[in-house]
Amino acid sequence: MKIDVKHIAELSRITLTKEESEKFTPQMETILESVTVLKDVDTKGVQPMKDRITFKDLRNDEPKAGLTQEDVLKNAPHKEDGFVKVYGKIFGGIEES
Amino acid sequence: MMSNEKYDVIIGLEIHIQTNTKSKMFCNCPTGYFHKEPNTHVCPVCMGLPGALPLPNKRAIELCTLMGLATNCDIANEIHFDRKHYFYPDLPKGYQISQYKRPICSDGYIDLDSDIRVEIERIHQEEDVAKSTHHTEKDTDKEYSLIDYNKSGVPLIEIVTKPCIRSAKDAKDFATKIRQIARYLGISDADMEKGQMRCEPNISVQEKGKWEYKDGMILPIGEYKLNAKVEVKNIGSITAVEKSIEYEVERLIGEIENGKDIVQQTRGWNADKGKTEFQRSKETADDYRYMPEPDIPVIEVSEDDIDRISKEMVELPDEKIKRYINDWDISQYSAEVISSTIENARYFEELQKVLSNSLDEKNAATEASNWLMGTVYSIGNLDIDINDLAVLILAFKDGVLTKNKAEEVLKDCIENNKDISDEVEKVKSEREDTLSNIDDIVKEVINNNPKAVSDYKGGKEATIGFLVGQVMQATKGTANPNEVRDILINELKK
Repeated sequence: MKIDVKHIAELSRITLTKEESEKFTPQMETILESVTVLKDVDTKGVQPMKDRITFKDLRNDEPKAGLTQEDVLKNAPHKEDGFVKVYGKIFGGIEES
Repeated sequence: MMSNEKYDVIIGLEIHIQTNTKSKMFCNCPTGYFHKEPNTHVCPVCMGLPGALPLPNKRAIELCTLMGLATNCDIANEIHFDRKHYFYPDLPKGYQISQYKRPICSDGYIDLDSDIRVEIERIHQEEDVAKSTHHTEKDTDKEYSLIDYNKSGVPLIEIVTKPCIRSAKDAKDFATKIRQIARYLGISDADMEKGQMRCEPNISVQEKGKWEYKDGMILPIGEYKLNAKVEVKNIGSITAVEKSIEYEVERLIGEIENGKDIVQQTRGWNADKGKTEFQRSKETADDYRYMPEPDIPVIEVSEDDIDRISKEMVELPDEKIKRYINDWDISQYSAEVISSTIENARYFEELQKVLSNSLDEKNAATEASNWLMGTVYSIGNLDIDINDLAVLILAFKDGVLTKNKAEEVLKDCIENNKDISDEVEKVKSEREDTLSNIDDIVKEVINNNPKAVSDYKGGKEATIGFLVGQVMQATKGTANPNEVRDILINELKK
């Protein structure tokens, strides 16, 4: 099974060297091949295993306080004025949603 | 315009609306983040920490469903959430929980005033991302972003139209109508400047007769190669929806006329410069690697659930306008202004109801409409007590005071915080006083204005207006000018 490591790296905004690409490509292909084994399992007549709930089981809309700003920022390697600070170039200030 | 001669404009709109809930889409963090300290409405779920479990917000799903019902959509009987992957600092999990193939609402439409139907492909539920601002470090010249996760996880619905909109004006009208419906139903305040509503048009221009619209898609005819579409972001107002599309259409036609190929791209609207600016090209299709969200079960929606949500439906502006015109003979323009917000419409309907205790139904509606359109809206105050306003209007109808005097009383009461009913009573008693000696006042005016009197008697009948004015002035506007006129004419006959 072929894998486009360069494309996967771009999607994750990671730059790989040529050496890294060459090293990771067969590794990732091996992982994919291992998972592909699942395709051979006969699932005829087996229902998809996905839980079901009804509307009334949904969470009620009640606000509760979460973490303090101090706690939130504990895991951030960089911070500034209460914000999480992230280095790197972002294309054109586009907000995705 | 060039576009009308040779090209057709093809627009599809994506509208995101933050819905009005108290807590976020998948956690209990409070939603109201405007002007709040950064990163204070955050928990492990909306921060994307490993192992956190998203729990869908019932109210958010009700509001999404309500929007679907208001726009004639089919409502799914099962709700499925999916993960949409992309890597960006405003998205802490590395994916957004959204809906892929099975949105809550699908196949809807709304009709614009111009009798144009805009087809809605889908309305799905998702979550908002964090707010990021981009900067450059002064000493190192390094670029960086500052992230506030308070907005991360706020419930967001996305309304997607089919590419069936044909002009910038129709796109603006559609966005306006969606905003109005969202506000009428309390789904959202939909304030574009605050980012509670965002419009992203997809625009392309195609040569006339070379394409067709089939099954919700734009298809080329024969050998024609469709021009690529452009997506415009950063639109901060309803006006900018129209302006940015107009600009972009002219730009695209200019490019094509100059023999250039259009590259599929995202552009940003720069409101200060009044133009769109290139942001990035989309040479390859987006690769979001959607997969079913394994942490959220399938949610079953019963007919009872939909019935319960339908009870929140209110009469929408289009229906109100029709009713005002058909039942009460209100003009199209007045009906549109009155129904533009639910607050205006409610005030009008209540005033009409109170007035109908004394006037017939149509007359009550006409008076209510005239007073709102002519006076109350220009004062810009809907806090005026409806019963008080009705007292004033009825006093005017009874001839107790003139329209000018009534407006004067109204403004005086608002500015000086006086009670309207008290003031009307005062005017009434003043008027009774004046009326009891109106004959004396009339005589006095006649004696003081011999020139006008002789002019009138000499055949210049228009002079009567001047004399009426003098009497009105002497009575401080409390007398009824028609009555004054009759008394004067009688007196002058003597």
